[in-house]
Amino acid sequence: MIWTYARQRLAEQARAVAFIVLYLVLFQLVVLQTVPKGAGRVAGGLGMVVVGLAFFLEGLFLGLMPLGERVGQQLPQRTTLPVILGFGLLLGVGATLAEPAIAALQTGGLTVTPWDAPLLYRLLETEPENLVIAVGAGVGVAVAAGMLRTWFGWSLKTLLFPTVGLVLGLSIFCTRDENLATIINLAWDTGGVTTGPVTVPLVLSLGIGVSRSMGHRQGTAEGFGIIALASLFPVLSVLLFAIALNHSTPRPASEAEFFAPANREAARRLVPTDEKLARLAFQRGSETARRALFPEATQHAAAIASLTMPAVRQALLGPLALEDWLLQRASPAEQALFKEALARQPDGLAHPAPALGGVVLSAAGMAVRAVVPLVALLLVVLVVILRDRPRRPDEVLLGIAFSWVGMTVLTSGIALGLGPLGDQVGRPLPRVFRSVPQEEGRLLLQPFDPAAVFPVYGRDGRAHPHFFLQNRAGEPVPVPFDPARFDPATGRYEHIVKRPPLFGPGLSLLGVALVFLFAFGMGYGSTMAEPALSALGRSVEELTVGTIKRGGVIQAVSLGVGLGLTVGVARILYHLPTVWLLVPAYGLLLVLTWLSEEDLTGFAWDAGGVTTGPVTVPLVLAMGLGIGNGLEVVDGFGIVAMASVFPIITMLLYGLLIRARQRQSVPGQAAGEAGHAG
Amino acid sequence: MPADSWPTWETRARITLAVHQAQSEQALRTLAALGLPAVLIEKARCVRLRLHNRLWRLLGLDMELSDSPMEMFRWSVAAAEAMPLLHHLARALDLRTPGNGTLYAQEVRECAALRPPALPALPGLAPPTGHLPTDLTLITGIQSVSGAEDTLPRLALLLGAGVPIVSRGQGAGVRDRLGLIRITIPPEKELVQLIVPTHDADGLQALLIEEGRLDRPGGGILYQTPVRAGLMDSLLRLGRQEHAASLEQIIAAIDDLKQGTTWRKRVFDGRPLPGRRPTAAGTHREICFVCPDGDGDAFVQAAMEAGAPGATLSRVQLVDLTGQAESRNMARERGIICVPAQREASLLEALSRVLAANADSHGLLQVIEASFLFSHQAS
Repeated sequence: MIWTYARQRLAEQARAVAFIVLYLVLFQLVVLQTVPKGAGRVAGGLGMVVVGLAFFLEGLFLGLMPLGERVGQQLPQRTTLPVILGFGLLLGVGATLAEPAIAALQTGGLTVTPWDAPLLYRLLETEPENLVIAVGAGVGVAVAAGMLRTWFGWSLKTLLFPTVGLVLGLSIFCTRDENLATIINLAWDTGGVTTGPVTVPLVLSLGIGVSRSMGHRQGTAEGFGIIALASLFPVLSVLLFAIALNHSTPRPASEAEFFAPANREAARRLVPTDEKLARLAFQRGSETARRALFPEATQHAAAIASLTMPAVRQALLGPLALEDWLLQRASPAEQALFKEALARQPDGLAHPAPALGGVVLSAAGMAVRAVVPLVALLLVVLVVILRDRPRRPDEVLLGIAFSWVGMTVLTSGIALGLGPLGDQVGRPLPRVFRSVPQEEGRLLLQPFDPAAVFPVYGRDGRAHPHFFLQNRAGEPVPVPFDPARFDPATGRYEHIVKRPPLFGPGLSLLGVALVFLFAFGMGYGSTMAEPALSALGRSVEELTVGTIKRGGVIQAVSLGVGLGLTVGVARILYHLPTVWLLVPAYGLLLVLTWLSEEDLTGFAWDAGGVTTGPVTVPLVLAMGLGIGNGLEVVDGFGIVAMASVFPIITMLLYGLLIRARQRQSVPGQAAGEAGHAG
Repeated sequence: MPADSWPTWETRARITLAVHQAQSEQALRTLAALGLPAVLIEKARCVRLRLHNRLWRLLGLDMELSDSPMEMFRWSVAAAEAMPLLHHLARALDLRTPGNGTLYAQEVRECAALRPPALPALPGLAPPTGHLPTDLTLITGIQSVSGAEDTLPRLALLLGAGVPIVSRGQGAGVRDRLGLIRITIPPEKELVQLIVPTHDADGLQALLIEEGRLDRPGGGILYQTPVRAGLMDSLLRLGRQEHAASLEQIIAAIDDLKQGTTWRKRVFDGRPLPGRRPTAAGTHREICFVCPDGDGDAFVQAAMEAGAPGATLSRVQLVDLTGQAESRNMARERGIICVPAQREASLLEALSRVLAANADSHGLLQVIEASFLFSHQAS
């Protein structure tokens, strides 16, 4: 019996994950023409993802959602409106603190620099605690507003229209200031990121519970809509917070100006310590920054040389891998400096691999943070304030344990399997559309015979030195000879193997099409595996007695996220301002909302908030960072915002489609009137 | 409240009205205008066949199931008020047109914690017009959601039995005895309700059992309850229509002319059912309770101790039609228990004790005779 049950759950999740995995592997094999690295480890990680998802979802259905619904039902019966509003605020703030959202945003802002975007840097790095509080306040007010709406039976639309108008208006206002313009993307992304896999089902079931208890007939949308508000209000609060900070934040400056000793006073306001400043110069700056920071050539050389020491490297480069640093940040002169220093190092570089135990341990800690505070809050409210208990306490406790185990296994599985896989594809993605050949590896030829060099004449009549090298198939291929890489003293020649661009120079049509295809598949596939979406789909199916199917909801939302990611990537590729995309998208959305029924509005708007969860965010970030790095844009933000709008659009369209089909079976209004007249 | 005088049982008419979600506001307005204090609403869907052309008619016609969202309204009135009310509603909501909804009244014995006042004189009630079939039977099927995949509704439609109304519920009772292992059994159930002409009920039920594979373990249960009078929705098919009137419309018209459904009595081939035959008429009781959401467990537990085989709980909502009640406790649970007639007395005693313990909570008990209960367990 247990086996059948477990097999069903696992098979369901394996199907949910299958698309994204196959897609990533195929893309890697066919388009990028590389082989997945660390296949065993990745496969193990993917297995963990499946098991984790199965446990987590079962935990949601057994424990978290019944608990949330119970609290929601009892609240209006046993307390007063102020208590409920206070509880909503507390829940919103607690949810924000529990979700690792800010960590995700900081990962997204890895390339943000205090000279190009001082305000953005200040929000993310100097005052992240205040940012979290601003976001939390937004979510809290949203949950409270949602409760208020359900209490009085207001239509969701009456809340959505002014809120969207306000947020869009404020965003447009922000484009007029060079500092504020940089944070618009961040603000819109916080809206999507804050509502995570634990918050969504809890808040959803809470709303359903309150709505059931109140028994309004009109405009309740079954208690849906809180997630939608919790995606919009944080945008508002972050924008307001940024506007408040703006006057005390330095203006954008050039890199050299920022790191110049004369500017140290102003830089201190953003970057409090010298150590941090050095780290910035290495992680996010170019050679200009390092030269400005270490004005003496010897200091600069010493700093570069210190990278060979693992401890210093870890401190200076942080999450950036050395290879990436050399490729993306270091100038050729610095690469040479580093190589010199490395040559003096006897044992070369040591590469520590992440240990399985460490990953699982940190994931378990994170899962505790995500699950325990929220569940504890609900349990305390239920037992102490409402003097009630869960309907089936043993099931609820088991469910909570399941969701903790599931969360732990899921996040470690993503860190070990899905994340690296996405990384392997997302990182080299710029190769698809960029014309610059990229270094693939180095070959040491020793002893190298300079006599093997022969001239090859170019069209200009000049001779270029070449030599023959076997390619992978063993055939001799002439490759250019670079005298600078030959060391006559040791007879050593270092050959750099370069991978040619896949599709010709410039932004080729095929290359861009492939990137769009990749973005679409990535969004579509990862959203299908998102547990919060599964929970939402199930709630919708239950509430509509199966007239709107869970599978349909998942498909519609996944399509929307795929579309949204494609648009988000297009924004980065073509440097479009986010507002240009957000205003028409939300405009369309408002028209569709106006056309839709109350219930559908609630389902659809909530779908926008569920799309950014533990599966999507790491994958999307890998892709955003890959493309962002390739194009040297300020930050990879704005993708999540797009991935939140489009699913609402597709869900509303899906809803309208279903209703249109069902309308055929609705007795016409005319028939009803005739009945009256007769 | 003295224990001996309470609870009191009386015979009343339970009226069920199912209309499309888009019509439910109109239905509520109509009911409110009649002076009804409150109704219970349950979400449901009705299933119809949709014919559509496959690949530009190259591959002929295809049939698929089409769901539409419905809402079921339930309330009870004094037995004498039932017929005029049905006539009025049939006219006001134009229920005689196929596809506009289903309406029926069943005679139940009822015991309520709070007795709603009798309807006022119903001044707006027009004199009865048209015929209201009285030779109807309600077939109720309760199946697990997983694995059922609309078998019963599809069969009912293919047999031309009527438009099934499907709602959701949760199995309780047996599952709770298993301890935590119970989580491996999905509790979700689907309740399929089908109004059929009485003379065809047995034959249709036999076909449903045989072809719906209810005679297998975990297949679910199926039983009949009598209907006093009602109107069944006969719009079985949607989509392309070849003639000026559909077959269903013609049947509805002839039913009306003939003042009954006997003219279309079917002849079923007399093959015996595999396994055991369903039990005979009047041998069982369907006991139904309504209570605030969350209190259902107490009823189920009492019923199980008194020998009930299990219960199915559905979530319903009480809707106040007077516009006065400021209640924030409108979530209700409706439970159905089917037991053999000989256990009725002990079960009702146990249940009414629970009802009396929560006398202030608007609880309700209803009993109706059930026939031909079929379940795999019973056979």
